[in-house]
Amino acid sequence: MELNSIKDAFDRVTKKQKLSCSKSQEVIEQIGQEIEQALSRIQSGQDSASPSDHKLILNELKAKLKEIAPLSQLESTQKELNVALSKYPKLLEKSFNPDISKAYRNIDFDIHAVNQIIANHFYREGRFDLGDCFVDETKEPEAALMKSPFVEMFHILEAMKSRNLEPALNWAANNHEQLTQNGSDIELKLHRLQFVEILQNRGRDEALKYARAFLAPFATKHMAEIQKLMACLLWAGRLDSSPYAELLSSIHWDKLAEELTREFCNLIGQSYESPLSVTIAAGVQGLPTLLKLMNVMTGKKHEWQSMKQLPVPVDLDREFQFHSIFVCPVSRDQASEENPPMLLSCGHVLCKQSITKLSKNNSTRPFKCPYCPSEVEAGQCRQLYF
Amino acid sequence: MSSPMEIEAQLPNGNSTAATAINPPSKLGKLAESLKLEHQFLRVPFEHYKKMIRANHRAVEKEVSAIISGVSDFEDSNRSRDETVNQLNSLVSRLQGFKRKLEEESRTEQLQAQRCRARLDHLESAEVDNLPEWNSIRLKRILVDYMLRMSYYGTASKLAESSNIKQDLVDEDVFFEARKVIDALKKKEVAPALAWCADNKSRLKKSKSKFEFQLRLQEFIELVRAENNMQAISYARKYLAPWGATHMKELQRVMATLAFRSNTECVTYKVLFEAKQWDYLVDQFKQEFCKLYGMTLEPLLNIYLQAGLSALKTPFCYEDDCTKEDPLSQESFRKLALPLPYSKQHHSKLVCYITKELMDTENPPLVLPNGYVYSTKALEEMAKQNDGKITCPRTGFVCDYTDVVKAFIS
Repeated sequence: MELNSIKDAFDRVTKKQKLSCSKSQEVIEQIGQEIEQALSRIQSGQDSASPSDHKLILNELKAKLKEIAPLSQLESTQKELNVALSKYPKLLEKSFNPDISKAYRNIDFDIHAVNQIIANHFYREGRFDLGDCFVDETKEPEAALMKSPFVEMFHILEAMKSRNLEPALNWAANNHEQLTQNGSDIELKLHRLQFVEILQNRGRDEALKYARAFLAPFATKHMAEIQKLMACLLWAGRLDSSPYAELLSSIHWDKLAEELTREFCNLIGQSYESPLSVTIAAGVQGLPTLLKLMNVMTGKKHEWQSMKQLPVPVDLDREFQFHSIFVCPVSRDQASEENPPMLLSCGHVLCKQSITKLSKNNSTRPFKCPYCPSEVEAGQCRQLYF
Repeated sequence: MSSPMEIEAQLPNGNSTAATAINPPSKLGKLAESLKLEHQFLRVPFEHYKKMIRANHRAVEKEVSAIISGVSDFEDSNRSRDETVNQLNSLVSRLQGFKRKLEEESRTEQLQAQRCRARLDHLESAEVDNLPEWNSIRLKRILVDYMLRMSYYGTASKLAESSNIKQDLVDEDVFFEARKVIDALKKKEVAPALAWCADNKSRLKKSKSKFEFQLRLQEFIELVRAENNMQAISYARKYLAPWGATHMKELQRVMATLAFRSNTECVTYKVLFEAKQWDYLVDQFKQEFCKLYGMTLEPLLNIYLQAGLSALKTPFCYEDDCTKEDPLSQESFRKLALPLPYSKQHHSKLVCYITKELMDTENPPLVLPNGYVYSTKALEEMAKQNDGKITCPRTGFVCDYTDVVKAFIS
């Protein structure tokens, strides 16, 4: 971001501040010197110590101080500083969005829900100390509900980091059914990694034993994969110079740790990415549009508070697109259950209500597709499911 | 107004080659837009800095005046030489002491200036390449802001410390000042709040704040509650009367409590004695405090959450088969989004059920004979693995890859 003009303005402030600061010090110094001078004069005139003498000196000191006019000296630098101090925030207001709460709806934002989201965020990031501290401080013990599954997940991941697959394999075995139901082959991948580990560290016999016990059950579905692993047995002890050397790559560990996180979150009904991070990121992208909208909606603040749908589209990156939204190119309506998307025989897609209109509600009367020269019939249109 | 937005909205859906060509600048544009939301981030430390400067300057003026008047004072009085020497000596050492203090203050001022500059540098450091890390710090800043405002100081400090943002990027020190006042108000003590009002008198006056009046009203109510009626009346004369010109109605209402007393059943006056009036004062203080420092009145977290939820909310989010990756599949997020508006789309955005990828001209949607739509990539892959057979994952329907037709989405 181009911040140079703002930086310059700030430099001006600090410059004036330094000036004013050194001026203050100078003035104080001056006063101090005058007083000390007077003091030494009084003290040096010891013998002729008549009271009128030191009075005279004091009088002179007073006149001197008046002459220095310390306060008015301070005033001029202070004035310049004040100008800089009031200019800078104005520049900030001009260069930034001074009030980002303009599009905020004044609704009761459920604090408990927010706190629960935050606690969950910490737990899922593995920041259990922060999560516990937060739950404690907010006095919301129910916000710690998701703690224990994530504790288990990080236990598994930590073990994997030190090349220990036991906890991961146990977890996969315990959730065997659900994992297969979800079409995940993570269990096989874990066993494959373990097999290679054993082959490398404990030799061919142990590896073969392991393969019989744990790989065999996967044979029906993953024959090719298992054959490849069995071939590895031939290169026991020199796997790194075999055609299967890539099986040793540490990338497999990182990848599997990621996949495990994904599957684990999926099984406990959580997303892979922190939902808080996702929502805030979407908010950061969407807020500028909403603020622009509020600028043109001034005077309609009340309407904004009760609006059921945003009046303008908020453009988010594709990673925030979780659902298929079909917008009828003719009516610009979003498809719904009552008004589903329909495929014309030419391949173009319109919403049902638009087709009804175009065909004048006659299912056999041909009408021209609005997007190509084809003649189509409403009766031959098929509903689509995205 | 709709035209520039329309153009923006069309970008991702437009011709794909054009879209990739425009992509980098639009990413930069988005980044710049998002940085413009960071007003508070720069403003708060600056207000703090300004406050320091002003306070120090006032101290200098006061000290200098005091010294000068000190000199004139004992010039007038008839003192012996020794006395005068002593007096002057004490003035000199006072000045020296003040000079040291001034140097110290100037150092803290400079530190604060450095902090302002560190924030400018932090904003400047945001680039498309380091965005994930930068965004993660932003989330932490937002969370710390929320915790400080909600008085969860322990977690705020822990989070700030562990993410290395404590020194420059969060406003812990500013909130420390507020904490004293809030803690006192929670204990039903108004003295720190009144002191804060006195400290910021001119600015509160400028914004026509009536916070001090509200504090005074509460003190009056407490006197009435304790049945110290005479004291209450003299308190009202001294502290409430000056507000009469602008806030007569409220003043009259509170004065009437003298007649109704604290055990009244009359609703108008009963509420004035309720304990939640103190909570209200805490809220009021927070608002005034935020205004003074140029902060948003709502926590940043709430603002971004609302904007994000509105942008993400679709009718599909509330269905049972909503994907887990959508934050709105979570109960707590759904609850927060309930009173918010749905997002709006001007153009179709289709996500493949299987791959979760966007279906566009590069990866066009294909229709199975049963009407279910999947992306070309997903079906090609499936056909390759199953000898050209396609199985619909949602219905179990089986067909040949040759049976699928392309759908044109405009």
